Amino acid sequence: MEGERTSATLIRLWRVWRTTKEMMNDRGYIVVEDDMTMALDEFTRKFAREDGEPDRSRLNFSCQPSQDMLAKYTDAPTKKVPNPVPNIGNIWIEFNHDENVGMKQLREYMTHLVQGSFHSGIMVTVKPMTGMAVRFLRASTTLSDGPKGGIEVFVEQDLLVNITKHELVPKHVLLSDAEKSQLLERYRLKQTQLPRIQATDPVAKYLGLRRGSVVKIIRKSETAGRYASYRWVI
Amino acid sequence: MDMPPKSILKKTAEKPADPRHLKVALHHANALEDRKRVERDVLEAIMTLMDFPASPNADAKRPSPADASHFQDAVLIFQPSDYDALIEERNIADRCGYALCSRPTRKARSTARKQFVDTDHGVQIVERKVLEVWCSDDCAKRALYVKVQLSEDPAWMRQGGLGEKIELMVENAEEHHKALPLRLKQEGASTSDDDKELLDAAWAAQADAMANLALERGEKPGQLSKANGDLIQDQIMERGFSIAPPQPPSLPAQASDHTMAIEGHVPRINRKDRDDDEDEDDAQDWDKLLPG
Repeated sequence: MEGERTSATLIRLWRVWRTTKEMMNDRGYIVVEDDMTMALDEFTRKFAREDGEPDRSRLNFSCQPSQDMLAKYTDAPTKKVPNPVPNIGNIWIEFNHDENVGMKQLREYMTHLVQGSFHSGIMVTVKPMTGMAVRFLRASTTLSDGPKGGIEVFVEQDLLVNITKHELVPKHVLLSDAEKSQLLERYRLKQTQLPRIQATDPVAKYLGLRRGSVVKIIRKSETAGRYASYRWVI
Repeated sequence: MDMPPKSILKKTAEKPADPRHLKVALHHANALEDRKRVERDVLEAIMTLMDFPASPNADAKRPSPADASHFQDAVLIFQPSDYDALIEERNIADRCGYALCSRPTRKARSTARKQFVDTDHGVQIVERKVLEVWCSDDCAKRALYVKVQLSEDPAWMRQGGLGEKIELMVENAEEHHKALPLRLKQEGASTSDDDKELLDAAWAAQADAMANLALERGEKPGQLSKANGDLIQDQIMERGFSIAPPQPPSLPAQASDHTMAIEGHVPRINRKDRDDDEDEDDAQDWDKLLPG
Protein backbone atom coordinates (compact mmCIF):
# COMPACT_ATOMS: atom_id res chain seq x y z
CA MET A 1 0.00 0.00 0.00
CA GLU A 2 1.26 3.46 0.85
CA GLY A 3 4.26 2.19 2.83
CA GLU A 4 5.26 -0.27 0.16
CA ARG A 5 5.46 2.33 -2.53
CA THR A 6 7.97 4.57 -0.77
CA SER A 7 11.46 3.35 -1.43
CA ALA A 8 14.13 2.91 1.23
CA THR A 9 16.30 5.67 -0.22
CA LEU A 10 13.38 8.06 -0.09
CA ILE A 11 12.78 7.34 3.59
CA ARG A 12 16.47 7.75 4.31
CA LEU A 13 16.60 11.03 2.50
CA TRP A 14 13.48 12.25 4.26
CA ARG A 15 15.21 11.76 7.60
CA VAL A 16 18.41 13.36 6.35
CA TRP A 17 16.53 16.35 5.05
CA ARG A 18 14.63 16.82 8.30
CA THR A 19 17.83 16.59 10.32
CA THR A 20 19.44 19.15 8.05
CA LYS A 21 16.53 21.54 8.58
CA GLU A 22 16.77 21.02 12.34
CA MET A 23 20.49 21.61 12.19
CA MET A 24 19.99 24.89 10.41
CA ASN A 25 17.41 25.87 12.98
CA ASP A 26 19.73 24.98 15.85
CA ARG A 27 22.48 27.06 14.32
CA GLY A 28 20.17 30.05 14.24
CA TYR A 29 19.06 30.26 10.63
CA ILE A 30 15.45 30.99 9.82
CA VAL A 31 13.68 27.73 9.08
CA VAL A 32 9.99 27.18 8.50
CA GLU A 33 8.53 25.15 11.34
CA ASP A 34 6.62 22.85 8.98
CA ASP A 35 9.79 21.75 7.23
CA MET A 36 11.21 20.28 10.42
CA THR A 37 8.08 18.28 11.15
CA MET A 38 7.20 17.33 7.61
CA ALA A 39 5.57 13.93 7.34
CA LEU A 40 6.83 11.31 4.94
CA ASP A 41 3.69 11.55 2.81
CA GLU A 42 4.15 15.19 2.15
CA PHE A 43 7.85 14.72 1.51
CA THR A 44 7.06 12.03 -1.04
CA ARG A 45 4.56 14.26 -2.76
CA LYS A 46 7.01 17.12 -2.95
CA PHE A 47 10.33 15.54 -3.76
CA ALA A 48 9.80 12.09 -5.24
CA ARG A 49 10.11 11.42 -8.91
CA GLU A 50 7.56 9.31 -10.69
CA ASP A 51 9.57 6.13 -10.15
CA GLY A 52 9.48 6.66 -6.39
CA GLU A 53 13.12 7.64 -6.05
CA PRO A 54 13.99 11.00 -4.48
CA ASP A 55 14.95 13.91 -6.70
CA ARG A 56 17.96 15.33 -4.92
CA SER A 57 18.31 18.43 -7.02
CA ARG A 58 14.92 19.65 -5.76
CA LEU A 59 16.03 19.26 -2.14
CA ASN A 60 18.64 22.01 -2.28
CA PHE A 61 17.73 25.07 -0.28
CA SER A 62 19.23 28.23 1.12
CA CYS A 63 18.86 29.79 4.55
CA GLN A 64 19.11 33.28 5.98
CA PRO A 65 20.52 33.92 9.43
CA SER A 66 18.14 35.30 12.03
CA GLN A 67 18.72 38.58 13.87
CA ASP A 68 19.92 36.76 16.97
CA MET A 69 22.38 34.79 14.97
CA LEU A 70 23.71 37.87 13.21
CA ALA A 71 24.26 39.50 16.59
CA LYS A 72 25.97 36.41 17.93
CA TYR A 73 28.40 36.20 15.06
CA THR A 74 29.34 39.86 15.22
CA ASP A 75 32.60 40.63 16.99
CA ALA A 76 32.59 43.19 19.77
CA PRO A 77 33.41 46.65 18.39
CA THR A 78 36.98 47.77 18.87
CA LYS A 79 38.74 51.05 18.29
CA LYS A 80 40.02 49.90 14.95
CA VAL A 81 36.72 48.36 13.86
CA PRO A 82 33.95 50.43 15.43
CA ASN A 83 31.21 48.87 13.29
CA PRO A 84 32.03 45.20 12.79
CA VAL A 85 30.11 43.20 10.21
CA PRO A 86 28.70 39.79 11.15
CA ASN A 87 30.82 36.81 10.13
CA ILE A 88 27.81 34.97 8.83
CA GLY A 89 25.49 35.22 5.90
CA ASN A 90 23.30 33.25 3.60
CA ILE A 91 24.04 29.57 3.36
CA TRP A 92 23.39 27.17 0.49
CA ILE A 93 22.71 23.52 1.22
CA GLU A 94 23.18 21.11 -1.62
CA PHE A 95 22.32 17.42 -1.78
CA ASN A 96 24.81 15.86 -4.15
CA HIS A 97 23.60 12.82 -6.09
CA ASP A 98 26.96 11.56 -7.39
CA GLU A 99 28.16 8.22 -6.17
CA ASN A 100 31.74 9.46 -5.82
CA VAL A 101 32.50 13.00 -4.86
CA GLY A 102 35.93 14.31 -5.73
CA MET A 103 37.66 17.58 -6.29
CA LYS A 104 35.68 18.16 -9.48
CA GLN A 105 32.33 18.38 -7.70
CA LEU A 106 33.82 20.38 -4.86
CA ARG A 107 35.26 22.95 -7.22
CA GLU A 108 31.98 23.25 -9.10
CA TYR A 109 30.19 23.72 -5.79
CA MET A 110 32.65 26.41 -4.75
CA THR A 111 32.19 28.39 -7.95
CA HIS A 112 28.43 28.06 -7.55
CA LEU A 113 28.65 29.50 -4.03
CA VAL A 114 30.81 32.38 -5.14
CA GLN A 115 28.57 33.17 -8.10
CA GLY A 116 25.46 33.07 -5.92
CA SER A 117 27.34 35.26 -3.40
CA PHE A 118 26.63 32.86 -0.57
CA HIS A 119 28.65 33.28 2.58
CA SER A 120 29.04 29.57 3.26
CA GLY A 121 27.81 26.22 2.09
CA ILE A 122 27.00 22.71 3.20
CA MET A 123 27.24 19.78 0.86
CA VAL A 124 25.52 16.52 1.74
CA THR A 125 27.01 13.59 -0.11
CA VAL A 126 25.87 10.02 -0.60
CA LYS A 127 29.26 8.53 0.22
CA PRO A 128 32.37 10.00 1.84
CA MET A 129 34.40 12.02 -0.61
CA THR A 130 37.87 11.13 -1.79
CA GLY A 131 40.94 11.72 0.34
CA MET A 132 42.34 14.32 -2.00
CA ALA A 133 39.05 16.23 -1.86
CA VAL A 134 39.29 16.28 1.94
CA ARG A 135 42.78 17.73 1.65
CA PHE A 136 41.51 20.25 -0.87
CA LEU A 137 38.73 21.26 1.51
CA ARG A 138 41.22 21.77 4.32
CA ALA A 139 43.48 23.86 2.10
CA SER A 140 40.57 25.88 0.71
CA THR A 141 39.94 27.57 4.04
CA THR A 142 43.08 29.57 3.41
CA LEU A 143 42.30 30.02 -0.26
CA SER A 144 41.03 33.39 -1.33
CA ASP A 145 38.78 32.33 -4.19
CA GLY A 146 36.38 30.22 -2.14
CA PRO A 147 33.34 31.41 -0.20
CA LYS A 148 34.18 33.48 2.89
CA GLY A 149 32.52 31.24 5.43
CA GLY A 150 33.95 28.03 4.07
CA ILE A 151 32.33 24.77 3.11
CA GLU A 152 31.21 21.91 5.30
CA VAL A 153 30.64 18.43 3.96
CA PHE A 154 28.36 15.89 5.59
CA VAL A 155 27.72 12.31 4.61
CA GLU A 156 24.05 11.35 4.45
CA GLN A 157 24.61 8.60 6.96
CA ASP A 158 25.77 11.09 9.61
CA LEU A 159 22.53 13.00 9.34
CA LEU A 160 20.09 10.10 9.51
CA VAL A 161 19.63 10.76 13.20
CA ASN A 162 19.77 14.09 14.96
CA ILE A 163 22.48 13.39 17.52
CA THR A 164 21.64 16.37 19.71
CA LYS A 165 18.31 14.75 20.56
CA HIS A 166 20.02 11.84 22.27
CA GLU A 167 19.55 11.95 26.03
CA LEU A 168 23.27 11.62 26.71
CA VAL A 169 24.21 14.60 24.56
CA PRO A 170 24.17 17.77 26.66
CA LYS A 171 23.03 21.10 25.32
CA HIS A 172 25.72 23.09 23.53
CA VAL A 173 25.32 26.84 23.24
CA LEU A 174 27.72 28.98 21.28
CA LEU A 175 28.87 32.15 23.05
CA SER A 176 29.17 35.39 21.18
CA ASP A 177 32.39 37.35 21.20
CA ALA A 178 31.12 39.71 23.92
CA GLU A 179 29.91 36.83 26.09
CA LYS A 180 33.22 35.11 25.70
CA SER A 181 35.22 38.09 26.87
CA GLN A 182 32.78 38.49 29.78
CA LEU A 183 33.33 34.91 30.78
CA LEU A 184 37.11 35.21 30.62
CA GLU A 185 36.96 38.37 32.69
CA ARG A 186 34.63 36.87 35.26
CA TYR A 187 36.86 33.89 35.91
CA ARG A 188 40.10 35.78 35.20
CA LEU A 189 41.16 33.29 32.61
CA LYS A 190 43.00 33.30 29.39
CA GLN A 191 41.14 31.41 26.70
CA THR A 192 43.94 28.85 26.56
CA GLN A 193 43.13 27.90 30.15
CA LEU A 194 39.66 26.67 29.25
CA PRO A 195 38.92 23.01 28.63
CA ARG A 196 38.80 22.25 24.94
CA ILE A 197 36.60 20.65 22.33
CA GLN A 198 37.74 19.58 18.90
CA ALA A 199 36.22 21.19 15.85
CA THR A 200 35.82 17.64 14.50
CA ASP A 201 33.65 16.66 17.45
CA PRO A 202 30.24 15.49 16.14
CA VAL A 203 28.32 18.16 18.03
CA ALA A 204 30.85 20.81 17.03
CA LYS A 205 30.41 19.77 13.41
CA TYR A 206 26.64 19.83 13.83
CA LEU A 207 26.74 23.38 15.14
CA GLY A 208 29.42 24.44 12.69
CA LEU A 209 31.71 25.67 15.46
CA ARG A 210 34.79 27.50 14.35
CA ARG A 211 38.21 27.41 15.86
CA GLY A 212 38.68 29.87 18.67
CA SER A 213 35.05 30.20 19.73
CA VAL A 214 33.78 29.15 23.13
CA VAL A 215 30.81 26.88 23.66
CA LYS A 216 28.75 26.57 26.84
CA ILE A 217 27.75 23.04 27.70
CA ILE A 218 24.79 22.58 30.01
CA ARG A 219 24.48 19.14 31.58
CA LYS A 220 21.92 17.66 33.88
CA SER A 221 23.36 17.03 37.29
CA GLU A 222 21.82 14.91 40.04
CA THR A 223 23.21 17.10 42.78
CA ALA A 224 23.21 20.55 41.27
CA GLY A 225 20.30 20.35 38.89
CA ARG A 226 22.15 21.91 36.01
CA TYR A 227 25.84 22.24 35.52
CA ALA A 228 27.42 24.54 32.97
CA SER A 229 30.91 24.17 31.64
CA TYR A 230 32.72 26.02 28.91
CA ARG A 231 34.92 24.66 26.20
CA TRP A 232 37.23 26.33 23.74
CA VAL A 233 37.02 25.05 20.19
CA ILE A 234 40.34 24.04 18.68
CA MET B 1 74.88 54.09 56.14
CA ASP B 2 71.96 54.39 53.77
CA MET B 3 71.88 51.02 52.17
CA PRO B 4 69.26 50.34 49.58
CA PRO B 5 66.91 47.54 50.61
CA LYS B 6 68.27 44.23 49.50
CA SER B 7 66.01 41.81 47.82
CA ILE B 8 65.57 38.51 49.60
CA LEU B 9 64.43 36.83 46.43
CA LYS B 10 66.70 34.47 44.65
CA LYS B 11 68.48 36.19 41.87
CA THR B 12 67.62 34.66 38.56
CA ALA B 13 70.71 34.78 36.50
CA GLU B 14 69.81 35.63 32.97
CA LYS B 15 71.28 32.92 30.87
CA PRO B 16 72.24 33.83 27.37
CA ALA B 17 69.99 32.11 24.87
CA ASP B 18 71.52 28.90 23.64
CA PRO B 19 72.13 29.26 19.92
CA ARG B 20 71.69 25.53 19.57
CA HIS B 21 68.08 25.73 20.72
CA LEU B 22 67.38 28.35 18.15
CA LYS B 23 68.96 26.20 15.50
CA VAL B 24 66.91 23.15 16.48
CA ALA B 25 63.71 25.15 16.55
CA LEU B 26 64.45 26.65 13.17
CA HIS B 27 65.31 23.26 11.74
CA HIS B 28 61.97 21.78 12.78
CA ALA B 29 60.03 24.84 11.72
CA ASN B 30 61.65 24.73 8.30
CA ALA B 31 60.92 21.02 7.96
CA LEU B 32 57.25 21.64 8.74
CA GLU B 33 57.12 24.55 6.36
CA ASP B 34 58.71 22.44 3.68
CA ARG B 35 56.16 19.72 4.21
CA LYS B 36 53.27 22.14 3.95
CA ARG B 37 54.71 23.55 0.76
CA VAL B 38 55.09 20.10 -0.79
CA GLU B 39 51.54 19.12 0.16
CA ARG B 40 50.21 22.27 -1.42
CA ASP B 41 52.26 21.63 -4.54
CA VAL B 42 50.92 18.09 -4.78
CA LEU B 43 47.38 19.39 -4.47
CA GLU B 44 47.95 21.97 -7.17
CA ALA B 45 49.63 19.42 -9.43
CA ILE B 46 46.66 17.09 -9.08
CA MET B 47 44.30 19.95 -9.83
CA THR B 48 46.08 20.76 -13.08
CA LEU B 49 46.60 17.13 -14.05
CA MET B 50 42.90 16.43 -13.51
CA ASP B 51 42.07 18.40 -16.65
CA PHE B 52 45.03 17.14 -18.60
CA PRO B 53 45.83 17.07 -21.50
CA ALA B 54 44.61 20.42 -22.69
CA SER B 55 43.82 19.44 -26.26
CA PRO B 56 40.93 17.00 -26.67
CA ASN B 57 42.64 14.88 -29.34
CA ALA B 58 45.92 14.30 -27.57
CA ASP B 59 47.27 10.80 -28.02
CA ALA B 60 48.65 8.87 -25.05
CA LYS B 61 51.09 7.05 -27.31
CA ARG B 62 52.56 10.18 -28.81
CA PRO B 63 52.11 13.04 -26.33
CA SER B 64 53.37 16.46 -27.26
CA PRO B 65 56.75 17.31 -25.72
CA ALA B 66 55.26 20.20 -23.75
CA ASP B 67 52.55 18.00 -22.19
CA ALA B 68 55.01 15.23 -21.47
CA SER B 69 57.54 17.45 -19.75
CA HIS B 70 54.84 19.15 -17.70
CA PHE B 71 53.54 15.78 -16.60
CA GLN B 72 57.02 14.55 -15.74
CA ASP B 73 57.79 17.62 -13.65
CA ALA B 74 54.47 17.58 -11.84
CA VAL B 75 54.61 13.91 -11.01
CA LEU B 76 58.14 14.05 -9.63
CA ILE B 77 57.02 15.13 -6.15
CA PHE B 78 54.31 12.49 -5.96
CA GLN B 79 54.26 9.42 -3.80
CA PRO B 80 52.51 6.38 -5.26
CA SER B 81 49.50 7.14 -3.05
CA ASP B 82 49.26 10.64 -4.51
CA TYR B 83 49.36 9.11 -7.95
CA ASP B 84 46.49 6.80 -7.00
CA ALA B 85 44.55 9.83 -5.79
CA LEU B 86 45.15 11.50 -9.14
CA ILE B 87 43.80 8.44 -10.96
CA GLU B 88 40.76 8.41 -8.68
CA GLU B 89 40.05 12.08 -9.27
CA ARG B 90 40.39 11.67 -13.02
CA ASN B 91 38.00 8.73 -12.96
CA ILE B 92 35.44 10.81 -11.10
CA ALA B 93 35.77 13.43 -13.82
CA ASP B 94 35.20 10.57 -16.28
CA ARG B 95 38.66 10.59 -17.79
CA CYS B 96 41.13 7.81 -18.35
CA GLY B 97 43.41 7.40 -15.35
CA TYR B 98 46.53 8.10 -17.40
CA ALA B 99 47.06 11.85 -17.27
CA LEU B 100 48.35 12.08 -20.85
CA CYS B 101 45.26 10.41 -22.28
CA SER B 102 42.25 12.49 -23.22
CA ARG B 103 39.75 9.71 -23.74
CA PRO B 104 36.99 8.83 -21.27
CA THR B 105 37.22 5.64 -19.26
CA ARG B 106 36.15 2.32 -20.64
CA LYS B 107 32.54 1.47 -19.80
CA ALA B 108 31.61 -1.84 -18.30
CA ARG B 109 28.92 -3.83 -20.07
CA SER B 110 26.36 -3.31 -17.32
CA THR B 111 26.05 -1.29 -14.14
CA ALA B 112 26.39 -4.37 -11.94
CA ARG B 113 28.89 -4.12 -9.11
CA LYS B 114 30.78 -7.23 -10.17
CA GLN B 115 31.49 -8.16 -13.73
CA PHE B 116 32.58 -11.26 -15.62
CA VAL B 117 35.69 -10.68 -17.67
CA ASP B 118 37.34 -13.04 -20.16
CA THR B 119 41.05 -13.19 -19.53
CA ASP B 120 43.86 -15.52 -20.55
CA HIS B 121 43.32 -17.47 -17.36
CA GLY B 122 39.64 -17.99 -18.03
CA VAL B 123 36.66 -16.03 -16.82
CA GLN B 124 37.27 -13.83 -13.79
CA ILE B 125 34.96 -11.81 -11.60
CA VAL B 126 36.15 -8.24 -11.32
CA GLU B 127 34.65 -5.22 -9.61
CA ARG B 128 33.16 -2.65 -11.91
CA LYS B 129 35.23 0.09 -10.31
CA VAL B 130 38.43 -1.68 -11.31
CA LEU B 131 37.21 -2.10 -14.87
CA GLU B 132 36.35 1.54 -15.34
CA VAL B 133 39.73 3.05 -14.53
CA TRP B 134 41.46 3.13 -17.90
CA CYS B 135 40.39 3.64 -21.48
CA SER B 136 42.48 0.68 -22.63
CA ASP B 137 44.99 -1.85 -21.34
CA ASP B 138 47.66 0.09 -23.14
CA CYS B 139 46.99 3.22 -21.08
CA ALA B 140 47.00 1.16 -17.91
CA LYS B 141 50.45 -0.11 -18.78
CA ARG B 142 51.76 3.36 -19.52
CA ALA B 143 50.30 4.82 -16.33
CA LEU B 144 51.64 2.05 -14.11
CA TYR B 145 55.02 2.40 -15.79
CA VAL B 146 55.11 5.88 -14.28
CA LYS B 147 53.79 4.73 -10.91
CA VAL B 148 56.54 2.21 -10.28
CA GLN B 149 59.15 4.92 -10.73
CA LEU B 150 57.72 7.14 -8.01
CA SER B 151 59.56 7.29 -4.74
CA GLU B 152 57.90 5.89 -1.65
CA ASP B 153 59.27 8.62 0.63
CA PRO B 154 57.41 11.88 0.70
CA ALA B 155 59.15 14.66 -1.19
CA TRP B 156 60.03 16.65 1.94
CA MET B 157 61.99 13.71 3.35
CA ARG B 158 63.98 12.93 0.23
CA GLN B 159 67.69 13.42 0.62
CA GLY B 160 69.65 14.98 -2.16
CA GLY B 161 67.02 16.54 -4.33
CA LEU B 162 63.98 15.04 -5.93
CA GLY B 163 65.74 12.28 -7.80
CA GLU B 164 65.98 11.72 -11.46
CA LYS B 165 63.43 12.44 -14.09
CA ILE B 166 60.46 10.14 -14.51
CA GLU B 167 60.64 8.15 -17.70
CA LEU B 168 57.59 7.85 -19.88
CA MET B 169 56.53 5.03 -22.13
CA VAL B 170 56.14 6.86 -25.42
CA GLU B 171 56.53 6.02 -29.07
CA ASN B 172 57.91 9.38 -30.13
CA ALA B 173 60.83 9.29 -27.73
CA GLU B 174 63.18 11.00 -30.18
CA GLU B 175 60.97 14.12 -30.22
CA HIS B 176 61.21 14.39 -26.46
CA HIS B 177 64.94 13.95 -26.49
CA LYS B 178 65.28 16.78 -28.97
CA ALA B 179 63.71 19.03 -26.41
CA LEU B 180 66.56 18.33 -24.03
CA PRO B 181 68.81 21.35 -23.63
CA LEU B 182 72.12 19.55 -23.56
CA ARG B 183 73.57 17.73 -26.53
CA LEU B 184 77.11 16.61 -25.97
CA LYS B 185 77.64 14.60 -29.11
CA GLN B 186 77.75 16.43 -32.38
CA GLU B 187 77.06 14.22 -35.31
CA GLY B 188 79.39 14.75 -38.26
CA ALA B 189 81.38 17.49 -36.60
CA SER B 190 84.42 18.20 -38.73
CA THR B 191 87.59 19.77 -37.43
CA SER B 192 87.77 22.48 -40.04
CA ASP B 193 88.22 26.08 -38.89
CA ASP B 194 84.57 26.93 -39.46
CA ASP B 195 83.51 24.28 -37.04
CA LYS B 196 86.13 25.13 -34.47
CA GLU B 197 83.82 27.51 -32.65
CA LEU B 198 81.14 24.91 -32.58
CA LEU B 199 83.60 22.43 -31.20
CA ASP B 200 84.71 24.84 -28.52
CA ALA B 201 81.11 25.40 -27.58
CA ALA B 202 80.63 21.66 -27.34
CA TRP B 203 83.65 21.33 -25.07
CA ALA B 204 82.38 24.17 -22.92
CA ALA B 205 79.02 22.44 -22.73
CA GLN B 206 80.78 19.26 -21.72
CA ALA B 207 82.71 21.08 -19.02
CA ASP B 208 79.41 22.45 -17.75
CA ALA B 209 77.92 19.00 -17.78
CA MET B 210 80.88 17.60 -15.88
CA ALA B 211 80.51 20.36 -13.30
CA ASN B 212 76.85 19.48 -12.95
CA LEU B 213 77.73 15.83 -12.57
CA ALA B 214 80.25 16.70 -9.89
CA LEU B 215 77.53 18.62 -8.04
CA GLU B 216 75.26 15.63 -8.35
CA ARG B 217 77.94 13.45 -6.81
CA GLY B 218 77.81 15.77 -3.84
CA GLU B 219 81.09 17.57 -4.44
CA LYS B 220 81.43 21.20 -3.62
CA PRO B 221 83.12 23.50 -6.08
CA GLY B 222 86.75 24.02 -5.18
CA GLN B 223 87.00 20.71 -3.38
CA LEU B 224 89.11 17.83 -4.54
CA SER B 225 87.10 15.99 -7.11
CA LYS B 226 86.03 12.50 -6.29
CA ALA B 227 86.61 11.58 -9.88
CA ASN B 228 90.18 12.71 -9.43
CA GLY B 229 92.58 11.83 -12.17
CA ASP B 230 95.26 10.90 -9.64
CA LEU B 231 93.22 8.03 -8.32
CA ILE B 232 93.07 6.22 -11.61
CA GLN B 233 96.25 5.99 -13.62
CA ASP B 234 96.48 4.90 -17.17
CA GLN B 235 99.87 3.22 -16.72
CA ILE B 236 99.62 -0.26 -15.37
CA MET B 237 102.55 -1.38 -13.27
CA GLU B 238 103.23 -4.74 -11.78
CA ARG B 239 104.04 -4.87 -8.11
CA GLY B 240 107.61 -5.92 -7.23
CA PHE B 241 108.02 -9.59 -6.40
CA SER B 242 110.77 -11.63 -4.70
CA ILE B 243 112.66 -14.39 -6.42
CA ALA B 244 112.93 -16.61 -3.35
CA PRO B 245 110.62 -19.62 -3.55
CA PRO B 246 107.80 -19.64 -1.05
CA GLN B 247 108.49 -21.54 2.14
CA PRO B 248 106.05 -24.02 3.53
CA PRO B 249 104.76 -22.95 6.91
CA SER B 250 106.42 -24.63 9.86
CA LEU B 251 104.96 -25.43 13.20
CA PRO B 252 106.12 -23.21 15.98
CA ALA B 253 108.85 -24.77 18.07
CA GLN B 254 107.50 -26.69 21.06
CA ALA B 255 107.87 -24.82 24.31
CA SER B 256 108.53 -28.08 26.07
CA ASP B 257 110.01 -30.99 24.22
CA HIS B 258 107.88 -33.34 26.25
CA THR B 259 105.55 -35.16 23.90
CA MET B 260 102.78 -35.42 26.45
CA ALA B 261 102.70 -31.72 27.27
CA ILE B 262 99.27 -30.16 27.10
CA GLU B 263 99.65 -26.46 26.48
CA GLY B 264 102.99 -26.53 28.22
CA HIS B 265 101.74 -28.50 31.22
CA VAL B 266 103.02 -31.98 31.62
CA PRO B 267 100.55 -34.30 33.32
CA ARG B 268 101.92 -36.00 36.36
CA ILE B 269 101.31 -39.58 35.26
CA ASN B 270 103.69 -39.38 32.39
CA ARG B 271 106.23 -37.25 34.07
CA LYS B 272 109.56 -38.99 33.91
CA ASP B 273 111.75 -37.08 36.27
CA ARG B 274 111.39 -35.36 39.66
CA ASP B 275 108.39 -37.53 40.36
CA ASP B 276 109.03 -38.98 43.80
CA ASP B 277 110.02 -36.04 45.94
CA GLU B 278 107.10 -33.88 44.87
CA ASP B 279 104.55 -36.52 45.64
CA GLU B 280 105.52 -36.52 49.30
CA ASP B 281 104.64 -32.88 49.81
CA ASP B 282 101.40 -32.87 47.94
CA ALA B 283 98.58 -31.95 50.28
CA GLN B 284 96.10 -33.41 47.86
CA ASP B 285 97.26 -36.91 48.53
CA TRP B 286 95.77 -37.04 51.95
CA ASP B 287 93.93 -40.26 51.13
CA LYS B 288 97.18 -42.15 51.17
CA LEU B 289 97.31 -41.71 54.93
CA LEU B 290 93.98 -43.34 55.47
CA PRO B 291 94.06 -46.90 56.70
CA GLY B 292 93.25 -49.53 54.12
